[in-house]
Amino acid sequence: MQHSIRRYGKNVKLSGLSFGAEAAFHLILGLFSIACVVPFIFVIIISFSAESSLRTVGFSFMPNLWSVESYQYVFRWGDQLWRSYFNSFFITAAGTVISVLICILYSYSLFRRDFKLRKFFTFLSFITMMFGGGLVPTYMVCKNILGLNDNYAAMIVPLLVSPFLFIVMRTFFSSTVPEALIESAAIDGSGEYRTLFQIIVPISKPGIATVALLNALAYWNEWFIAMLYIRSAKYIPLQYLLMKMQNQVDFLAKNSALIGAEAANIVASTPKENLRMALVVFIVAPIACAYPFFQRYIVSGLTIGSVKG
Amino acid sequence: MKRGLALTLALALLLVSGLGAATFAVAEDDFSQEVTIKWMLEGSNVTDDTAVIEAVNAYLKEKINAKLQVIWGTWGDFDQNVVNSINGGDDIDIYFTCSWTSNEYSAYANKGAYVRLDDPENNLLEQYAPGLFDVLPAVLADAAAVEGADGVGVYGIPGYKEVAQEYTWDINTPLLEELGYTVDDIGSYYDLGPILQKAKELKGADFYPLNIEGGVLVRIALNADVVDSNLVLVYPFDPEHPSQSGTEIKSLLELPEFAEFAKKTREYYLAGYINPVMATADAASSARTDAQLTGQYLIGTQVYSPGYDAQASQERGFQVTFKPTHKPIISTTSARGAMMAISTSSKNPERALAFLNLLNTDPTLFTLIAYGVEGVHYNLTDDGKVEFTDKRADYQPWRNGLGNITQLPLTVDDDPQIWEKFAEFNDAEGVPILGFALNQEPIQNEMAALANISKEYLDGLCVGVVDPDVVLPEAIEKLKANGIDKVVAEANAQVQAFLDAKGE
Repeated sequence: MQHSIRRYGKNVKLSGLSFGAEAAFHLILGLFSIACVVPFIFVIIISFSAESSLRTVGFSFMPNLWSVESYQYVFRWGDQLWRSYFNSFFITAAGTVISVLICILYSYSLFRRDFKLRKFFTFLSFITMMFGGGLVPTYMVCKNILGLNDNYAAMIVPLLVSPFLFIVMRTFFSSTVPEALIESAAIDGSGEYRTLFQIIVPISKPGIATVALLNALAYWNEWFIAMLYIRSAKYIPLQYLLMKMQNQVDFLAKNSALIGAEAANIVASTPKENLRMALVVFIVAPIACAYPFFQRYIVSGLTIGSVKG
Repeated sequence: MKRGLALTLALALLLVSGLGAATFAVAEDDFSQEVTIKWMLEGSNVTDDTAVIEAVNAYLKEKINAKLQVIWGTWGDFDQNVVNSINGGDDIDIYFTCSWTSNEYSAYANKGAYVRLDDPENNLLEQYAPGLFDVLPAVLADAAAVEGADGVGVYGIPGYKEVAQEYTWDINTPLLEELGYTVDDIGSYYDLGPILQKAKELKGADFYPLNIEGGVLVRIALNADVVDSNLVLVYPFDPEHPSQSGTEIKSLLELPEFAEFAKKTREYYLAGYINPVMATADAASSARTDAQLTGQYLIGTQVYSPGYDAQASQERGFQVTFKPTHKPIISTTSARGAMMAISTSSKNPERALAFLNLLNTDPTLFTLIAYGVEGVHYNLTDDGKVEFTDKRADYQPWRNGLGNITQLPLTVDDDPQIWEKFAEFNDAEGVPILGFALNQEPIQNEMAALANISKEYLDGLCVGVVDPDVVLPEAIEKLKANGIDKVVAEANAQVQAFLDAKGE
């Protein structure tokens, strides 16, 4: 890419910024990126610190003893971890596929001007964005009426419909898909579904990728829903497993006097910091690996709506 | 229009038939139909309960024709889940409840969440659990009586664990002796200065002789019991004669003794006797455990339970002595420390109570649930003691949160005299306001604001990281501005009403 052009015999930078300003921006953004990355690095360092080191020097970038004991412990721990890992993957994969499909179908209908109930359905999805049912009624409906109770559906269904993503996707359609394309497809004898899946979807990949990534992130990071509806260890996703440990540690820290002498026993048997950090690494790694694949779509997805011929 | 009418009629019919079914269900339970009892517990660490539940079901089938399904709540999650479950009307039969979880016993009994067990018109206790209260100390039965939705009565079955409560100093004995003192020299908090100084001189700057939990330390120094979990209000008791304590609830930060305590703590802190990390709740707990396990402390704070000294000594690898700072007391908090209540949404309250009866009176069942299956989770040694296997890691319920723990066989780590000590410890004096629990509903808003103020200042003051001369007046001023006087007045009015009702 060309960064400067020659104009009146001088090199002029395209960005139009002076060297000083550019350096300042780089510095600020660089510091910001460091601030984002450092906690992750810190987590990784702690996960590789020996417990005795944590005990004596506390959290430190330079622990006095490195060790892989927490990872060994995680692997020995075995069943529950892999089970939860599988659950998280399964929920994320299934949830993302279904929710993206729903998102495409719903927002495509909202995008079509010739759809009569367009206003009504826009309003319908919009209103759920503004008002929630409250925790207890939602819980009752999900658990008692819909039967979302100790099964995978309990963690997939509540996140399936996202009005915000409908709006994103609809805007994406209206800025990239010309009406004429749909008309000409219709003239050529294409049915509604063929038009959508063979003509519209292929040219909307960046938008779909964005929605898919946001959905995948939401599913991967979700633990609250699992906390509400999952009671059996069989279905616990990874995040909730970590959250449970963290909750346990917090709770005992604050209430040890109320529970009495036994609290000390329980504290002794709860996983230590380095183990929890190792779990964080396990959680972050897969999604961090998935990010680069989506990234090129997202960048184009975010900018594509702007000025175009 | 017609369709609307039909719909309404259909709905009404449904409703009527539903009500009909409900009235029929009240009929007595003759155990002829097999039912599943759902049981929600606190604080467990269970990942695989298949073997246990299989054995329990086989046993229960024979006894009460029921199956058991346990929802193993964990610390921290239970509070959130149980409230949703109760408010959402889940079909859970038995809930763990106590004085310190979110489904606090007296408040939820009052709301109508729990079934009254000794209702004169339908006395379930007499019918389905006749001998249950005979195996429990009388003081537990007294504390279980509460003003609920169906009048004053029993709405839950108390668990029989440590009924009394005692705060103690936790002393690193070898180090104390190295310094030339004996356990007898440890007395009042205010006189510890010279001993701590000597320890500090001997062990150096990185050594913090006082390994304390601020919230416990203040209770030790002031001889005060908790009223609300944020220590806005406390109940000062008489350390020598607990049953002769006063009947007044007070605002902790406003007590003149508290000012004195904060000043002393500040002095100890500035002298380097207290680790500054103790002021941050999240880090303090593990720092405290670390100091205990490595012996890097001289005197700590602890809540005592029988046999804990032997266990702590073994765990830490040096002799730990616990020196109580007062006589054991029985308060509402300790007597309602763990209970089981039957939900009003339960379809089979009779069978649930029959199960609770069995749980508290049948050692076979209780041992099975608390310790697991013999040959899988534990083996019995030649002298009949329990030795856990590796499988125990998958199945660790919170023993004290289950029921009558005196039924359990000894484990190899237990003190052989544990049950004698236990009985002796529990034979303590009750405070005059035993059974009283603060109803926070009328002062909800004030309590929420005051709890935040308490959270903001208390940890710092109780550990000494802030200067009480500056901070304490500021905290008190904030308390006043947020209605502490109203709260104290309301609390004491409630105490008075409680005492009047009790006196009748």
